[in-house]
Amino acid sequence: MKGRLIVILLAGLAIGALLAWLLVTGTTQVTPVEDVIFAEPPPTATPAPEQRITLFFAGDDGLLHPEIRTAPLPEETTARIRVVFGELLAGPRGALQPILPYPAELRTLFVTPSGRVYLDLTGPPEPLEGSATELMMIYGLVNSILLNTDVIAVQVLFDGTENVTLTGHLDLSRPLVLNKDFIGR
Amino acid sequence: MRKTVFFAFVTALVIVGGLQAQALPPRLEFRHQGLRIETTPVRNHVEVSSIMTLLGGEAAFSASAGVWALSLGDHLVQLAPDRRLVLVDGKLTEVQDAPISSPGGIAVRLGFLDDYILAPFGFHLETIVGGYSIVPGVSSGKPVTIRPAAADFSATTTLVLSLDRKIEASVEARPGGGVVVLMPGSGPRIESANRLRSRRVRSVVSGPGRIEVDLSPGVGLISWNVLTGPNRIVMELGTVPPTPTPAPIIVQQVTRSGPRPIVIDPGHGGPDTGAIGASGLTEKALTLVIARRLAQALRNAGHPVRLTRDGDGGRALTDRAAVANRLDARVFVSLHANASTVASVHGAETYYMSLDDRASDEAAQSTADLENRAGGSFVQESSALELILWDMAQSEVLNESARLALRVQTRLNALLGLKDRGVKQAPFVVLTGATMPAVLVEVGFLSNAKEREQLASPEHQQALADAIALGIGDFLVGR
Repeated sequence: MKGRLIVILLAGLAIGALLAWLLVTGTTQVTPVEDVIFAEPPPTATPAPEQRITLFFAGDDGLLHPEIRTAPLPEETTARIRVVFGELLAGPRGALQPILPYPAELRTLFVTPSGRVYLDLTGPPEPLEGSATELMMIYGLVNSILLNTDVIAVQVLFDGTENVTLTGHLDLSRPLVLNKDFIGR
Repeated sequence: MRKTVFFAFVTALVIVGGLQAQALPPRLEFRHQGLRIETTPVRNHVEVSSIMTLLGGEAAFSASAGVWALSLGDHLVQLAPDRRLVLVDGKLTEVQDAPISSPGGIAVRLGFLDDYILAPFGFHLETIVGGYSIVPGVSSGKPVTIRPAAADFSATTTLVLSLDRKIEASVEARPGGGVVVLMPGSGPRIESANRLRSRRVRSVVSGPGRIEVDLSPGVGLISWNVLTGPNRIVMELGTVPPTPTPAPIIVQQVTRSGPRPIVIDPGHGGPDTGAIGASGLTEKALTLVIARRLAQALRNAGHPVRLTRDGDGGRALTDRAAVANRLDARVFVSLHANASTVASVHGAETYYMSLDDRASDEAAQSTADLENRAGGSFVQESSALELILWDMAQSEVLNESARLALRVQTRLNALLGLKDRGVKQAPFVVLTGATMPAVLVEVGFLSNAKEREQLASPEHQQALADAIALGIGDFLVGR
């Protein structure tokens, strides 16, 4: 009796595992089309060359100020944007203040053929306050990306959603272009 | 006891196995132009790479973007696992079901496949025994997508409903007011209706086989045309003789009578407190106090004034300029108090609207012109059309807004000795769609200790209100 129970138990587990495997993986048969391998492009062996990049951080006057540094800047647009974003997230090295009021993560990047970028960030853990906070964050990102890539406009999304606004001021439902009004002299 | 446990266990196994078997969909066959694939969906999702292979298209993954790019002919669809976003020919859309990661890269539900992958490539699914056939054309049950845009002129408004394909349609004036667009056999789907700004068009909503256009009182249909190249319905709206059944007044308190008022908008309100100072002073309370003082100062100078809120009631950001539009206001001023993560930042600022999307459109246009297929795409055609309408209606308003901003900021600087942080342009939601000179005034920083103390004092609040009133007065001189 005990032996039968063990056999049934093992058989049941095997069937369950098989069903679970089929459920998760699925199968595809293509005929007569030959199998096509869709693989990621192989990672480049050589690191991107160090180049000068201009990043915007907040000054004591409530305006954006440039900080120039070098960073490995790839040719490909999305990889380039990731580098710029990473440098902004790392923060200023001099006397300027960060523009990102929380450690945002860059979730996804969509780039259109006409040069618009949709930047999907994780949202703030707590509501942000003030148009100045919003303007520094958004135009710090937008201006830094536009100056270091070939894109023409940036729309910022939070948690995969097109937001009307972040703090109740700036209209984020549309792509933004370079704004010189917020760059200090 | 052991028997009971044994049967319970076997029963559980059967139930679990049965549930899993039920969750597993049948093997699906897809056919296209003499080719076929058989696939077993992954968690009820279909492998996209298999479908692209069948169509003869390409699928490529960008690791840095985290995005799959699907291309066929001139069309490009971008999507990412676990993201409810899809970019179809440059246009971003939020979707209900996110694609998932799969052994083949990325997999989507059938509805997603039909709407966001096959449709842009000019195909749709048709059910066959054991699966689907991917055939050219648009599914007969597919809704027609409509993007409304309006331009207000002094006596008339042009309303354009851009369509994603050619349809049969007719336009009629409703007996009780408003307009109905009849499109038999079509399930219209309206996009970007929240961006519609007009003082004569209240709303554009869809219903089965029709679109209902709600108009302001006294406004009616003058003429209409269904045009192609691009496909669109164009309506001319304007003042018509009163009908026996008057249109209902939806927002009684903002219906204007008498001279054109100045509309003051105390920022935030209700559950939206805005910024909160360390002392507990909220932006919504401060803006209301200053707005009331400003209203009194303007009334003392002989100007009629209306507030978008005169209590703690909240009002949608997008509705505030609409109130000013409905009242045919001379000037719209939105009051705010600022906050910054940099505690030393202080001063008053005045903003007016910028058209970032217009600049973006202009920059994109030359590139897009080269990239679009010969017939052009719905998205770009609509953008160009909206751009023209927007230009016609907004250029003069923007110039006037810049002058108003300068007058207000000059008075703030002169009377209060505030640090001039200047007049700046940015696309503020509350100013979007205002059809009169409109500015947003940030009266100071609640995040700055010294300025927070000043902002809490009635004397300073009055001085701010007087300065803004004088700036508005300067602007209105001779008008």
